[in-house]
Amino acid sequence: MTLQREKRDYSWGMVVDVDKCTGCQACVLACQAENNVPLNLQDRFERARVMSWIRVERYWEGEFPDVKARFIPIMCQHCENAPCEPVCPVFATYHNNEGLNVQVYNRCVGTRYCANGCPYIVRFFNYWEPVWPEAFRNHLNPDVTVRSRGIMEKCSFCIQRIRRGVRNAEREGRNVVDGEIQTACTQACPTDALVFGNFNDEDSKVSKMKKDDRHYTLLPHLETDPNVVYLAQIDTDRSAGKSHG
Amino acid sequence: MQQRRTIDQIHTNRVLLNGQLDTPKWWAPTVIGLGIIVAIGFFLIGIMVNKGLGVTGLSRPVYWGLFITTFVFWVGISHAGIMISAILRLSQAEWRRPVTRAAELLTVFSLLTALLFPLMHAGRPWRIIYYILPYDFARGIMPNVRSPLIWDPVAISTYLTGSTLFLYIALLPDLGNLRDRTSGWQKAFYTILALGWRGNPRQWKLQTVGGILLSALMLPIFVSVHSIVSWDFAVTPAVEGWHSTIFAPYFVIGAVHSGVSAVVTMMALMRWLWKWEDFIRPEHFDALARLLIVVATGWLAFTFLELIFAVYGLDAPELALRELQIFQWPWNILFITFVFTGYIIPVGMWVQKRVRNNIALMFWSSLFVNIGMWLERFLIIVPGLARKTPFVYTWEAYRPSGLEWFILFWSLAWVTFLMLLFSRFFPLVPLFEQKESQTFGDSIKIGRVRVPAIVREAD
Amino acid sequence: MASEAIHSGAHADAHEGAHEEEHHELPERVDPDVITSELVGTTEANGSGVRTWAWILGILTLVGVVATGVKIVAESGDQAEWGYTAAIVAFLFSAFGGAPLVAIAPTLAKANWVRPVARFAALCSLVSIVCTIWMIPLILNLPMLVVDGARRRSIWFEGPDISPHLWALVGMLTLIICALGLIWAYGLPDFAAMRDHSTGWKQRFGGWMARGWIGSTVQWRTMRMRIGMMGTLYFFTFVFIHFIISTDFAMSLVPGWRDAIFPMYHAISSIQAGLAVTVIGIWAARKYLGLDKYLHLDQFWSIGRLMFAFTLLWGYFFISAFIVFWYGRSGSDKMWIDFLILGPYFWVFIAAVVFIWFTPWWWLIWNRVRRSYNGTAIGAGLILLGVFLDRVRLYVAAWSVPEDRIHERFLTKYPSAVYPDVMDILIMIGAVAATVLLVLLSTRVLPILSVWDVQQFNLLYRPVEYMKTKVSLIGKPD
Repeated sequence: MTLQREKRDYSWGMVVDVDKCTGCQACVLACQAENNVPLNLQDRFERARVMSWIRVERYWEGEFPDVKARFIPIMCQHCENAPCEPVCPVFATYHNNEGLNVQVYNRCVGTRYCANGCPYIVRFFNYWEPVWPEAFRNHLNPDVTVRSRGIMEKCSFCIQRIRRGVRNAEREGRNVVDGEIQTACTQACPTDALVFGNFNDEDSKVSKMKKDDRHYTLLPHLETDPNVVYLAQIDTDRSAGKSHG
Repeated sequence: MQQRRTIDQIHTNRVLLNGQLDTPKWWAPTVIGLGIIVAIGFFLIGIMVNKGLGVTGLSRPVYWGLFITTFVFWVGISHAGIMISAILRLSQAEWRRPVTRAAELLTVFSLLTALLFPLMHAGRPWRIIYYILPYDFARGIMPNVRSPLIWDPVAISTYLTGSTLFLYIALLPDLGNLRDRTSGWQKAFYTILALGWRGNPRQWKLQTVGGILLSALMLPIFVSVHSIVSWDFAVTPAVEGWHSTIFAPYFVIGAVHSGVSAVVTMMALMRWLWKWEDFIRPEHFDALARLLIVVATGWLAFTFLELIFAVYGLDAPELALRELQIFQWPWNILFITFVFTGYIIPVGMWVQKRVRNNIALMFWSSLFVNIGMWLERFLIIVPGLARKTPFVYTWEAYRPSGLEWFILFWSLAWVTFLMLLFSRFFPLVPLFEQKESQTFGDSIKIGRVRVPAIVREAD
Repeated sequence: MASEAIHSGAHADAHEGAHEEEHHELPERVDPDVITSELVGTTEANGSGVRTWAWILGILTLVGVVATGVKIVAESGDQAEWGYTAAIVAFLFSAFGGAPLVAIAPTLAKANWVRPVARFAALCSLVSIVCTIWMIPLILNLPMLVVDGARRRSIWFEGPDISPHLWALVGMLTLIICALGLIWAYGLPDFAAMRDHSTGWKQRFGGWMARGWIGSTVQWRTMRMRIGMMGTLYFFTFVFIHFIISTDFAMSLVPGWRDAIFPMYHAISSIQAGLAVTVIGIWAARKYLGLDKYLHLDQFWSIGRLMFAFTLLWGYFFISAFIVFWYGRSGSDKMWIDFLILGPYFWVFIAAVVFIWFTPWWWLIWNRVRRSYNGTAIGAGLILLGVFLDRVRLYVAAWSVPEDRIHERFLTKYPSAVYPDVMDILIMIGAVAATVLLVLLSTRVLPILSVWDVQQFNLLYRPVEYMKTKVSLIGKPD
């Protein structure tokens, strides 16, 4: 019963190679800086209101002393069949024709229903008006809206960068070249665990990686059809498993 | 065997109109006291709108908490009115008569209160009017009709409109009565409201037909309202414990359980405060309690099915949620309280005829039910969010802030306040129903005994 | 006061039969002696071909039993073969098993109209015997709780391997006991009537069953208590068996079907069908046994209203499940819709919805229909057909899922449609015939309308004139 979507030029997506992730949190920081996400100070942690569009979840596996730390970066999965979209009463979140699940801040009234519908818990609510220390005033990214209190926000695949890339390409009368557009997290990732690209382009890096035997998606039984594909951890001790929780 | 009592109409008029014609002494101080609480409540809501929802205890992923629980609770209470007036009217239960007005009133005021909660609970309440009344034609974006949050206001406002009409139609004969017994501005007030009621056969016929038609029309709305509220939760597969097919009837029968219990609470208060011992009698409590036993047991069956089929799939996240909901501190205490106050204590009391005829005990048992039913909603909504999906990394707890608790308390005061204001101007027990039941009551002689009997029209 | 304006308008012998006109005439009162002799007389009546019908039904029953035996012996090990048997057991249990509730619930609520109907409804509980017989092959073919070394999903969780099999049998046997107890407790005064007004073996049987009934105050009080107890017991066993049949014999056979409302849905449509069976029963009694003196429009009208209400409730319960699956769109949600609705039994489903819900809704919504004997009976027939089709689509689909797929998270490949073979048809006809035969035979030892209830109805009811109109005055003893 998935809606048939028309063929489109771009279908943005990401491949996360869990095997390469070291849990360094560089992506988290890069995202925070790029997207004007408010600072997570002590108060936010205490009241469980941390906002980070991408997070690196850490799980311990095994019993001491044979313990392994597992890391998995989780951001908005940009589902084709997104549970957050139909529940929004004001169309503040919807699917655009480039495979992105976009959030329109202006429309949002803050019912937080989308966040309840989201199985990946990657939608964040602004409980307070965001404030930055004086020193940060001039560090805000001018390309990204600063969200006011009372609305939802989430990973946009750095839509400002996508727009700029597509615009540049159009100006030069060509399609976007693979690797031309980088999201903040992929750019910051030191091990190239995160790769961003166009799934519609058969030759793009993400399309090739998606065909890897190790590929899987999160919570497949919900059939949300995410645009973020994970590649499983290669474990020398045991056969490759899906260690996502 | 209950002996049918005869009360003459003059006595009926004098006693049942005592709230309007000579206001009781306790009325003014109580209303002022409640008014202060209500004012503080509105002030706190103002603070919340001004500062942001950070003042609540909500977190991520527990995005819905005490306010939504209280919203569901008040929508549940609002099911009292139609249950009592429409269903019992269509099934011709005689004992409903003195209770109908109070039950309908409870419906209207609790719906008004319920509506406030999702409004104040939104991140930007000043913009929410957009999704109820789409004013913004310029951009060509209408509200998303696929969202249950659109179905909600539609269902609730339909229900509110219907119940208000229902209440008003049933009020007409009594308004005519009051118009004839007052003078000055009061007379003018009642004259306008009574719409020229003179009590001629045509008017009575219209009033009766209108009542029956509205009863029949309101029934589907009655069912739809709480079903839609339940679908707010049930359509979401992401939250374990919400995505259950049983939710709609489960919520409806739970709503009837809590609503009828609230009516019992109110009846006891009315009997004590306005001294209406002649009209609100133990046999009414007895009948309501027997109805409640059936409703409560049906509701328990639904609760049981809900639990059984939650663990039926044996999915780890679902088991983790139930583990939290039933066994972990402090939820285990809430769960035990819920089971005891929602079913075991009250039904254990109601099965005894002695209790059913004791007003004080009925009062307390009905209060228990509503504590239990509030907890039921809380236990459905919050643990489900706190244990969402297998990502244990994001599991969180939720502790409502003091402000949230006060607003829950405020909503109780607010409904009571509205009811008391209403009682100053309109009779809480329908006079004409009372007189009609006197006329319809009769007795027949069988052998040596006289048996109470009821006149039934041949339609 | 009201009583001053009321004059008794009762004329015991001025009876002219009920009227089919649009305007509802109040029924006349009947002489008590006439009631007893006429109703006891129905147990003797052979003129309407009762004997012939009994022979035909008996032969059909026998054929059904033989067909079942042949099918058990020629066992192929494929559980899909038993889908239609499961469907007919579920249908008969739903329809006839639900009928006694029609008697119990309004009796407990002291509704007067139900009195002439209650006996027939109570007799329908004998279906539990038929269901137990045809449940044997089902129990033999139901997969164990542990399949291929792993435990399958069921409501029995960690229970012993044969829990579903055992509890279905225990439940059914309990229901038989409750049914017999209910019929006996409810029929006590009528057994006495048989003792006093009948002849031959029926008189002796009645005398033995009546246990010295003389109608003393104490005996009446005990009887009421017994009816209340047996009624409640029957009700709870009935609900329990719905829970078991719907989950063990349908839901848990389909991996991924997790539907908390299903047992309730099952029970609701069962009450709907029970009302329909009752209507058809009293319609036949009125038409072929000439009991129009006791069965008035009031009974048909009241049951018609209830049937209408339960028809709407069916729609509500179905939508409650459907909207959750349709909106949820997860894998198992889609499976429910794709397999059980849009799947191989799509047209059966459509037909079921049309007959169980849509047509009765738009047929029974008219007061004129509910106020006619034939109109109500037609509505009842539609509902019975619809409930049968609904059971077919659910049970045949569930039984067609191969046992080795049972551990999947949800079905991804759906088994194709299973059509009934000759044996299935013979079994279905036989089971229905057996049920009807049992009820028919039981009306030979107990009047199809309860004598004492009709007498009380008569006592407590007075047509009176009030002002310029005629109203009825109904006594409500506590």
